[in-house]
Amino acid sequence: MSLTDLLFAGAVGLLFGIGVFQLLRRDLIKAGMGFAMLFTAVNLFFLSVGAYEGEVAPYTENVERGLAVSDPLVQALILTAIVVSFGSYALLLGLVNIVSRRYRTVDSDEVNNLVR
Amino acid sequence: MNNLFLLGTVFIPLFAAIIGLFVSRNNRAQRYLSFVASLLTWGASLVVLIQALSDGPQVYNMGGWAAPFGIILVADNLSALFGVMASTVLMGGILYAVHCRDKCVTYPAFMPLFLCMETGLNGALYTGDLFSFFVFLELMVLASVSLVAISDDRLGLEAAIKYLFISGMGTLFLLLGIAAMYATFGTLNLADMGAQLATGERPFLARSAAIMLTAAFLLKSAVFPFHYWQPDFHTTAPTPVHAVLSSVVVKVGIYGIIRMITLLFTEEAALLQQILLVLGVVGIFFGSLGALRTYNGKRLLAYSTIGQIGFILVGIGWGTPFALAAAIIYAFNHAFIKSAMLMVMGLVSSRTNPKSADFETNAGIKRYSIQGVGSKMPALIGILWFLGGMALAGVPPMNGFISKLVIVQSGVAAGQWIALGLAVGAGVLTLTYVFRTWQFVFQTKLPEDALAVKVKPEGDSVLAPTLLIGVSILLGLYARPLIALAEMTVTQLGDPSIYIEAVRLFGG
Repeated sequence: MSLTDLLFAGAVGLLFGIGVFQLLRRDLIKAGMGFAMLFTAVNLFFLSVGAYEGEVAPYTENVERGLAVSDPLVQALILTAIVVSFGSYALLLGLVNIVSRRYRTVDSDEVNNLVR
Repeated sequence: MNNLFLLGTVFIPLFAAIIGLFVSRNNRAQRYLSFVASLLTWGASLVVLIQALSDGPQVYNMGGWAAPFGIILVADNLSALFGVMASTVLMGGILYAVHCRDKCVTYPAFMPLFLCMETGLNGALYTGDLFSFFVFLELMVLASVSLVAISDDRLGLEAAIKYLFISGMGTLFLLLGIAAMYATFGTLNLADMGAQLATGERPFLARSAAIMLTAAFLLKSAVFPFHYWQPDFHTTAPTPVHAVLSSVVVKVGIYGIIRMITLLFTEEAALLQQILLVLGVVGIFFGSLGALRTYNGKRLLAYSTIGQIGFILVGIGWGTPFALAAAIIYAFNHAFIKSAMLMVMGLVSSRTNPKSADFETNAGIKRYSIQGVGSKMPALIGILWFLGGMALAGVPPMNGFISKLVIVQSGVAAGQWIALGLAVGAGVLTLTYVFRTWQFVFQTKLPEDALAVKVKPEGDSVLAPTLLIGVSILLGLYARPLIALAEMTVTQLGDPSIYIEAVRLFGG
């Protein structure tokens, strides 16, 4: 295990912890931030677990020269995952915006009308 | 050769959604366009099913990149069967939306979002790639959250936020599971993973990936410990959306679980099935008792879905081939029954003024009881609810009887007496809550006090629920083809190498 791995593991754990803590708060905006952090943590995890380890960028020339290229697929996947998480984050912020206009608060306990 | 019909099932609704945005000024055109698109999708999914039955699994390489490197669409019997179920119910839902009088249906984004949901659903069912499964699932979730947020019911907004958070957590675990799978096997292709897992080797992260995927699937299906978002989210949805959410969208998780225990983690299947069996029995009781004590007609059916999903899980949990076939039959039949009953309940509440589906009157929080409103409506609506209730409770000649029958038979064959007894006992609860509601809404007189709701002369069209109930009766009277189909599906699932070989041979 190298230092980078330790760093990655620590960062993923820290982000996940903060994310879960924020997600459980009553303030919907802070919960939304926690949501974004959790996605970042998972993306970082994705980056760290690339199945093929290497040092240089995965150009075809580098492959032909026999250098150890890094795994390009995880980066493509993370890009997709970031786009998807942006979509849900934008939708969430839009919904929170409507909540704040309609109820004049973003505290989830005060908004809670679904409990009869 | 690439199967173009397979591509059509996913991309016809997507393109129709895009075209629908261009004609957003003309709501009527948008509605008919969506219906035509869903009709085409339905036709394509039927063709795929027929081809999959006659020629084995169908494959489409997206962009010409073959597996295991490219993203592929695969339709074996299971995918094709679930795909037909999904596109039929979605066609019914869109048909209901065409004649729906809800205000939200007139919004320019409603129909495109509905079609995006269909894209996500079909894509998730047909994809042969774990990561694109995640993408399609997320498309479906975002579309359904938006649809619920713009619902006529003001509480829809709250339920949508709640579901977005909870489903976001589910998605995170799915993504973690996918990352773990990729780290372990270096591939995202389901067939390739299945081939590597079939060797019996279990590297470090494989089993934890299985747990994370299971949790994500259970959350998407609203199975017992992850169920709490479902009644709120489904109750506040617009009627056509609710009909689709509660009948086919929750089946994606079921599909994922079946795929996982038959193709990927065949060795761990026994352990997972034990968990599913317990969760299923708890779910049956939880859903049925919740439906018995709830205060709203739509909510009753949402709770009932939790119970019915429990029956499917019990079938999967028993694990014999016959029980698995029974679970597939149950899932298939339940989709039509539940969507039809939800449409009937939506029909009833669309004719009341103010719009309501509640059982009790409480003017303080603007809730009005629908007691006896059915007596002022055409008899057909009451008959449809009655037939749907018979199907849900498992009374012949409806298709619900067939699904209950095969579940019980497979339970007897598997010798699982405790779970079987509990499941059948809870089935009686279904009978109670469905017919109590029937009596309450259609058989009693409308109370003549000031708070009683008015009955409007016109409401939503009765066409879609009639068609779906018709399908239910048809599947009840001619049950043999579906049972044969499910048995063929399970035979195919029993040998994962069929799926793997089909993908590999196609890739060349």
